[in-house]
Amino acid sequence: MIEFKDVTKVYGDQTVLKDLNLTINAGELYVLVGPSGSGKTTSVKMINQLIKPTSGTIKIDGKDINDYDLRKLRLGTGYVLQNIALFPNLNIQDNIVIQLEELKVPKEERIERARDLLEQVGLEPDKYAERMPDELSGGEQQRVGITRALATNPNIILMDEAFSALDPISRKQLQDIVLELHAKAKYNMTIVFVTHDMREALRLGTRIAIINQGELQQVGTQEEILNQPANDFVKSFFKGEQETEAATAGKVIIQGYGHKSEDSDDVFRVSFEDELPALISAVREHKQVRIVFHDANYLLTIDDVLDFIENKEVANE
Amino acid sequence: MNNFVNILQTQHKDILNSLGQHLSISLISLLIAAVIAIPLAIWLRRYKKAAEIVLQITSVFQTIPSLALLGILIPIVGIGTVPAVIALVVYAVMPIFQNTYSGFTSIDASLEEAADAFGLSKWHKLIKIELPLAMPLIVSGLRIAMVLIIGTATLAALIGAGGLGTYILLGIETNNNALLLIGAILSALLALVFSALIRFLGKLSFKKIMIVLAGIIVLFGGWGIYSVVSKPLSTITIAGKMGSEPEILINMYKDLIQEENPKQKVEIKPNFGTTNFLYKALKSGQIDVYPEFTGTVMESLVKVQNYGHNPDKIYKQGKSMLKKQDNLDYLSPMEYQNGYALVVTKEFAKKYNLKTIQDLAAVQDQVKAGFDIDFYNQKDGYQGIKKAYNLDFGNVNTMQPSIRYKAIANGKVNLVDGYTTDPQVQKYHLVVLKDNKSFFPPYQGAPLVTDKAIKEHPGLKKALNKLSGKISVKDMQKMNYQVTFQHKKAKTVAHDYLDKHNLIKE
Repeated sequence: MIEFKDVTKVYGDQTVLKDLNLTINAGELYVLVGPSGSGKTTSVKMINQLIKPTSGTIKIDGKDINDYDLRKLRLGTGYVLQNIALFPNLNIQDNIVIQLEELKVPKEERIERARDLLEQVGLEPDKYAERMPDELSGGEQQRVGITRALATNPNIILMDEAFSALDPISRKQLQDIVLELHAKAKYNMTIVFVTHDMREALRLGTRIAIINQGELQQVGTQEEILNQPANDFVKSFFKGEQETEAATAGKVIIQGYGHKSEDSDDVFRVSFEDELPALISAVREHKQVRIVFHDANYLLTIDDVLDFIENKEVANE
Repeated sequence: MNNFVNILQTQHKDILNSLGQHLSISLISLLIAAVIAIPLAIWLRRYKKAAEIVLQITSVFQTIPSLALLGILIPIVGIGTVPAVIALVVYAVMPIFQNTYSGFTSIDASLEEAADAFGLSKWHKLIKIELPLAMPLIVSGLRIAMVLIIGTATLAALIGAGGLGTYILLGIETNNNALLLIGAILSALLALVFSALIRFLGKLSFKKIMIVLAGIIVLFGGWGIYSVVSKPLSTITIAGKMGSEPEILINMYKDLIQEENPKQKVEIKPNFGTTNFLYKALKSGQIDVYPEFTGTVMESLVKVQNYGHNPDKIYKQGKSMLKKQDNLDYLSPMEYQNGYALVVTKEFAKKYNLKTIQDLAAVQDQVKAGFDIDFYNQKDGYQGIKKAYNLDFGNVNTMQPSIRYKAIANGKVNLVDGYTTDPQVQKYHLVVLKDNKSFFPPYQGAPLVTDKAIKEHPGLKKALNKLSGKISVKDMQKMNYQVTFQHKKAKTVAHDYLDKHNLIKE
């Protein structure tokens, strides 16, 4: 659990963060979203002490972060940067396990770990392990960036605009990887994800915190934020999402239609990104379809889809 | 070209030796400069202001002319390798510092942030990330510094540190283009080879670079310690000025000393530098003996004016003044005098039956003279001669000393100033006119020795005095010719003379 209590950051005469109070539960994929300059990156960099707060305290598992040994804290925290920042002088596997080298893990173990991690993000170890970063595409590089953050099996992973510089296809693939990794970790992994992209926030967050001009606007699940925006800012920030975006199966789920199901692995699966026409024809054929979201199955019937369409039409009028 | 090949054949050992000296001075300087500049730049990479100040200071160093810098250093650290290395280090620090600093500061900030965020220790971050990323720029800094050092190190010869500059200076002094070329080409080659080597070194991994550096340090450190430890305290060090004549003389001194005491270690340092360097080195005890001319003693060392023309009186006066002034012993002089002379072509001498300077009076309208600028202006040069012999040549040109002989050999002039023992007299078939009024001040050579050396080595005085009254002008001229134009080794020429005159037993 990570707690921010009255955290304020002042640069000169500019307040970038004002009395921020946040509680990030263990195992959450917690998204901090807001326009640029809102203070979200500042907040996340305070967790691994790249930035020190002007006032206020941050606690991890009840203990003030200043009481942790800085090196141990950082070695136990994964970090993924917007511009990826793979070390250009090291090959892929050396990049991935640089923290293990700091921990003096023997070389064979390090290589094994690097190869194992590459496999997890869909990069063939034989092909990638010994290549240099500049031989990889941006998307591939950031996959490596993610594995590097996972090397020490950290409980906390910080991602700062990790996918913002990537093309839409790579971004989606990497979002899938993050969701998959988070689900696999079964609540042993807390991810704090910073983005300015509300769609990415909605897609990833178990909970989402919206920040604007250094002040927290609202914290809630996708559904809460879309259906009960706390103020005009939140409403307008996500308004675009409601209107312009083509409706997808995922969005039907996010808006609270259908229901979660434990035992439904044999039901026909529809992709999260499938748009409404595809979804409708699938429900027609199979009566009931399954969508995987945050490692859980959600079931949708034709009625759920019709309800969604009805409400959407109302909202648009 | 023949000349060039000839020198390479006869002197390749000496040339290799100079190359080695040049290389060691350069490498030691580079190493010291790197050891100063790289850690300093690493330390200051976070302090922009301080780094800029250091950069300013090192840039100022760079603008000091090298000769001035050497001049400043001599009174402080003396002559030889030490001031040369200090000067070279001063020059080399700036490119290495600047490149290392920009190598570190141009590292992408997000890479620094990543390394910090991963909890890497400062040392691990430096070794694993920052140094390798800065390495290309550091290496190019080292290359710039090395080329600079190898070029500037040619000046080390001026202060007795040896190296390839010896050949360049010697070449200029004696107007021998082959020697000059050898010095210049070899130092250029050395710069190219090292530039390539360092570039290659820069491509190796950080670990390998460290191994190579450690190897060089151990090698040179070991060699340095060895040369300090292995040098017996009782060595007699003999130095000589630039040119063949001093080199022949100091080789004779060596042979004579060892004839007297075969176990005595003698080190000779030919082409050690100019009068001032040698005299300072002698006073500071860095050398024990060097041959000096009586005229030079009067003019430059004890600074007496109007000392007359009597060789014996001048020698005695110089001897007693040197003893009083700096407690140095000026041993007995040799026979020959290496003073100013007027030299004409054989045809010209024959045609007008010229034997003495006085004989010129009758043909002064026919004279086309080529004089060194100094000689032309000095009271004891042409201006004095004019009065003493009542001469006034119709056609006088001043020129660089090194091209006078070329000018007379090519028939551009028919009379030049020179020194009595110049080997060019033989080479170009010239005639030295007798100074029948003894106008020119006498320049007699004699060993100048420290009092300490005389006391420590009882046989030294006796050995060196064996040359007293020996060696005629003709002999010296011939020996100079053998070394300068036939490229015989000074050592061989010296030994042959001593042998022939029964001064040593074979």
